[in-house]
Amino acid sequence: MNPPLTLLCVDDEAVVLDAVVRDLAPFEEAFRIETALSAAEAADIVSGLPGRGLTLALALCDHLMPGLSGTDFLIALDADPATRPARKILLTAQAGQNDTIRAINQGGLDYFIAKPWKPEALRHVICDQLTSYVIACDLDPLPYLAILDTVRLAEYLQHRNPGDS
Amino acid sequence: MRRALNILVGLILFLLPSFIPFEGLSAAGAITLGMFLCAGWFWISEPIPIYATSLLVIGGQLLFLSKSAPLVISRSFPYAAAEATAAEKFTATLAHPILILFLGGFMLAEAASKYSVERSLTRVILAPFGNAPGRVLLGLMLATAVLSAFMSNTATTAMMIAVITPIIATLAPGDRFRTALALSIPVAANLGGMATPIGTPPNALALGALASVGQKISFSTWMILATPVVIIALALGWWVLMKFFPPSSSVLQLNLDGKFNRSRPAILLYIVGGLTVLLWLTEALHGMPSTTTAFIPIALLPALGVIGKKEIRNLSWEVLWLVAGGISLGNSLNDTGLAAWMIKLVNWGALGPFAVLAGFTGVSILFANFLSHTVTAALLVPIAISLGTSGALGSVESMVFIAIAIAIASSFGMSLPISTPPNAIAISTGLVTTPQMARIGVIMAFAGLLLTTAAAYFFWPLLK
Repeated sequence: MNPPLTLLCVDDEAVVLDAVVRDLAPFEEAFRIETALSAAEAADIVSGLPGRGLTLALALCDHLMPGLSGTDFLIALDADPATRPARKILLTAQAGQNDTIRAINQGGLDYFIAKPWKPEALRHVICDQLTSYVIACDLDPLPYLAILDTVRLAEYLQHRNPGDS
Repeated sequence: MRRALNILVGLILFLLPSFIPFEGLSAAGAITLGMFLCAGWFWISEPIPIYATSLLVIGGQLLFLSKSAPLVISRSFPYAAAEATAAEKFTATLAHPILILFLGGFMLAEAASKYSVERSLTRVILAPFGNAPGRVLLGLMLATAVLSAFMSNTATTAMMIAVITPIIATLAPGDRFRTALALSIPVAANLGGMATPIGTPPNALALGALASVGQKISFSTWMILATPVVIIALALGWWVLMKFFPPSSSVLQLNLDGKFNRSRPAILLYIVGGLTVLLWLTEALHGMPSTTTAFIPIALLPALGVIGKKEIRNLSWEVLWLVAGGISLGNSLNDTGLAAWMIKLVNWGALGPFAVLAGFTGVSILFANFLSHTVTAALLVPIAISLGTSGALGSVESMVFIAIAIAIASSFGMSLPISTPPNAIAISTGLVTTPQMARIGVIMAFAGLLLTTAAAYFFWPLLK
C-alpha cells in the first residue's frame, strides 16, 4: 500500500494559488493537494503530514514571499530526510540568479518554472516530476499508471521484473 | 484484524487433522493434511504473500516430516523415524530440475530486457502486419504471446503497455478501439504463457509433479500439445475484441523505429539465447533434456559478462520458491499416503475419464479467475497426479494429460483485475473497465474449457 501522496502548493497570492490548484485538478484523482499562503504555513502542513498518514511527494513553491522565502523553504525540506525525496519546483517570476543557484545546490531543486505559466506546460512538468518520484521511491506504479507518464511507469514496472503468480 | 483471523483459521486447519483419528491415515499423512489445508487457506485468503506460504510449507515439512525434524529425533512424535523423509528431499525442491529450467528462462528474459531485445523482436513481429487497425491488433497479440511464452506474462504486459501507449494516444479519447488495444495485451500475455514449459509458473507445477512420478515431458512435446490451443484461443480473442470494440479509423499510426543492439554483450546474448531456444525446440533430435539446456544461459550469460550481479539479484526468485513449495507439498501428499487416502473418498471410477478431465479443467479455470494461477495448479495438480498413480484414471497417459490440462486451463483465468497481474496492469491504464474485462474474460473462460478439454481428450492422444 502506498501512502497517499501529497502535492503542496505555496504562494502568498491567493489568486495565483487558486489558479495553480485549478490547473493541477486532474492530479487530484490520485494525489492530495494542499495549499499554503506562506512558507511558515507550508512548514506547518509538512510537519503535520506524517501524523495524517500522508507523504509529501512534491512542493511547488513561489520564491518571493513575506517571511521565509520559497528557496529557503525548499532548502529546509531538502535538509530533512523525511522530505528529501519530495520533488521540488520553483514557480516564480522574481528569483534572482543567486537564489536560483542556492535552490539548485542546497535545495535539491528539480525544476524551475517561470511565471506566467501555461497550464498544459505546468501539468506536463508536474506529471514528469511525480513520475520520477514514484520511480525513485520504488513505489508500486499501478495506482499512477493512468494519471502519470504511462510509458515510463510501464517500462519501470517491466524492469522491476514482476513475476507471474 | 481480518488478517489475524485468517492466520488463526490457517493454524487451526493445520492442527486439526492431527487430533482427529482418521481411518487409514498415517500420522505423517494427518500432518500433511493439516499442511495442505493450512497452505491452501493461506494461498486463498492471502494473509501473507503466496510465496511466503510456499516457504512455510517447506519449512513445515523439514520441521515435522523430515528425518532430521526435532520432534522425530526426540522420538516424542506419534510416528516412527522410519516413516520420515530425508530432509534433502524437501530442500532439493528449491533446485528442482523444472525450476532450473525456469531459471534459465528468467536469465534469458532478464538479459533480453537489459539489451531491449524484446522490443526489437516486437518491431520485427509487427512490421509485416502493416497499419490497418485489425492487423495491428493481431500483430500486437501475436508479439505479446510469443514474448510471454518465454518471458513472464507480467513483464511482457508491462513492456507492451509501454509500446501501445503512443499508439493509443493517436486515437480520439472516445474511440472504443483504445479498449481493444489495452485489453488485447493481457489476453495475449495470459494465452502466450501456456505455449512453453517456461511460459508461466503453473506449467512448472504440472511438469514438476509429473517428473516426481517419473513422467518427463520434453520442451517440444509441451509446445506441440499447447500451441494449437494457444493459436485458436488467440484468434478467438482477436475476433471477440474486434467485435466488441471495433476500430473507427482505417489507419493506425505506428512508429517502429529503432534497431537491434549491436554491442558485444548483446551479440553474445543473441548467440546464447538463439542456441538455447534451438536446443529446447529440437530435444527430440539430440535428446539433451531441456533442464540441461537451460544451464547453457545460466552458465554462459554471467561468464560472458552479459549479465552481472545486479541482474541476478533482479530475478524473480520468489516465483521459483512459490513453485518449489507447491511441488514439495504435492510430493508429501503422495509420499505420506494422504493423496491415496483422499482419492478413496470419492468414487472416481463412476465418473468416467471424460467427466474427470472436464471437471478438473473447469475447476482450474474457475479457481484461476479468483486465485493465483500457480496456486490453482498447486492445489489441483497433486490431486490429479494421485488419481493417476492410484490407477483411478485408467492409463498413465490420461494422468499426464489431466495435469497439463490443469496448467493450461489455469492460464484461461482472466476475467477479473485480480485474476492475474497482467489484468491488474491493463485495468490500471484506465482504458479498460472491469465489466469490459469480465465480458471478454468470461468468453475466454468458456472457450478455454471447451478447447482444453477437447484438445486433451481428442487431439493429444493422437500425438503420443
